[in-house]
Amino acid sequence: MPTFRPGLVHTPVTPFKKDHSIDYDTYAKVLEFHIRNGAEALALPMPEGEDMSLTDPELRSLLKFAMEQVKGRVPVIAHVSDAGTSIAIERALYAQSLGVAAIVSHPPYFWHPKPSMVVEHLARIGNAVKLPFFIFNPPVESVGTTLSTEIVLELIEKLPNLAGVVDAGLDFVFMEEVMCNGRPLRPDLQLIAGADFMVSAGALGGSGVFSPLSSIAPRLVRELFELCRKGQFVEARAAQENIGALNHAIKAAGASGLRDGLTGLKTVLASMGRDCGVPRPPVRSAGEIERGHLLEAIAAMPFLKDEPRGW
Amino acid sequence: MKNFNLHGVMQAPVTPLKDDFSFDVSGFEKMVDFHVRHGAPAIAWPHHKAESLNLTIAERKLGAEIAVKTVAGRVPVSIFAGTLSEEDSLDIARHAQKIGADMLLTISPYCRRPSQEEIFDSIVRIGTHTDLPVLTYNSPWRNGEGVEFTAELTKRLIDRLPNYIGMKDASFHSEKFLEISRVALKMRPGFSIIQGVEHLLAAYPLGACGSFSSSGAIAPNLCNKFYASLVARDWETARECQFKISRLWRLFKEQYPSSLKGAMIMMGRSVGPTRSPLPTATKERIEFLRKQLEELNILQTEPHGW
Repeated sequence: MPTFRPGLVHTPVTPFKKDHSIDYDTYAKVLEFHIRNGAEALALPMPEGEDMSLTDPELRSLLKFAMEQVKGRVPVIAHVSDAGTSIAIERALYAQSLGVAAIVSHPPYFWHPKPSMVVEHLARIGNAVKLPFFIFNPPVESVGTTLSTEIVLELIEKLPNLAGVVDAGLDFVFMEEVMCNGRPLRPDLQLIAGADFMVSAGALGGSGVFSPLSSIAPRLVRELFELCRKGQFVEARAAQENIGALNHAIKAAGASGLRDGLTGLKTVLASMGRDCGVPRPPVRSAGEIERGHLLEAIAAMPFLKDEPRGW
Repeated sequence: MKNFNLHGVMQAPVTPLKDDFSFDVSGFEKMVDFHVRHGAPAIAWPHHKAESLNLTIAERKLGAEIAVKTVAGRVPVSIFAGTLSEEDSLDIARHAQKIGADMLLTISPYCRRPSQEEIFDSIVRIGTHTDLPVLTYNSPWRNGEGVEFTAELTKRLIDRLPNYIGMKDASFHSEKFLEISRVALKMRPGFSIIQGVEHLLAAYPLGACGSFSSSGAIAPNLCNKFYASLVARDWETARECQFKISRLWRLFKEQYPSSLKGAMIMMGRSVGPTRSPLPTATKERIEFLRKQLEELNILQTEPHGW
């Protein structure tokens, strides 16, 4: 299998109408926006795309719509994660039939699985497809279970198509161990930053990013990505700090214990002229006061003035 | 207040013990001197690696005196004041200042899951109790346990304490580190963020100035080469060193520092047993470590004996 290196991957949000149904007209604009603003690949629907809040038929139709809209201009990576292994496998096979470039999946929600269950779950999904397979390490808060080094090493043994780890856990020790223990087993194993913290992952030998903030600040994300790609990690610090400030403001908004940033992301998007509605329940949208605080914080970030407004 | 340019892989000596588990004074002098002679840019004692919580307060004062006397001004000396009881921490802080230590590392008492307000009060109490520069130890554990210095708390402490000069950071997390560094370094340029052990490559480009070392006990040359490669922005060499250190950490982190002490003995530095409830490394364990260290090319390239 030729190595697929996805580079700068944008992770679009999923827009909703007032009645909470998927707003496909706007989704077409979202996808065009990302392609026009520097996406080298798209991964969807990632947690920022509210994958957990979509039904199985919706997940399929969203993916089909995206493939038809993108028309091969950039590779599309399909995110299939679910609590049940067989449900995730079926969705992965469907994605494969649509011609996606790769599959990404994270440990199963909810069951607080033991490591052997995580290995079994991900190995079966990976085995079911003939595509490059990426495993996603979620933030520790979000699904109650994370990948360990041991899980990754076992999956390398079991899956010839395991292409890499997309890490949003952000733990230095995990990243180090994946690289220093995983690379001897699979020399082209990729470590991809699973959130916009590219400097730490890049210094440790990572490449590429799945970027949630590309919806808001694609230029800043591109600047940081290019510096990291060139190995200019010290020079990248200022851009990384700007990303950090933006990330902090967005995550601080919203009522969810996950600090998922969904409310913050959609609130800021609307203020930049790209209204994608509000997150689906049970995620609460921002109240007037909270919205005010967030937009005030955003207005105080001069580095955002060069970012695109509107579509 | 003296100004320090803290940088590099700073060494945190173990506490050598005699066979009867008593404090080995002459062994400790040799240990401290070993680190200074092998390029330690600072000495920090007694961290967990030194079995800090298994030492009496009297032993901690004795060790602090020996450390200051042995280093004799060649590099700065930091004394760790974290204890189970805040009164003991204040006592150690007073003593450290009296004997001429250069700075104090402290944390709110462990095991109580202190709130952010409680940590703030605790650090202000210690920080205003001493004229020494103060560093805090950020030790968040998963699931909200441990003692965490969030960026917001760090900001409040910098505002409140003119002698708050840095942090030993064991969060090892891109987002948490960046939150602290981007806030603290703007408010107080020169604020020293020192990684808890050498998970340094991921943090150095974002403003970490060094680490308090674990692996320096057996591989000081590797530590110095690692830091030099960071300063030179030679990321290839830095990765090679970081990954080797990461493999060392995996060997030693279980029941830390039992295995580390075992490996040190094997390399000709008789640092003795480890105090209960921590076990002392067995002969079999030491033989296993010998093989691993040989495979990592540590035995062949690092100093043996004192």
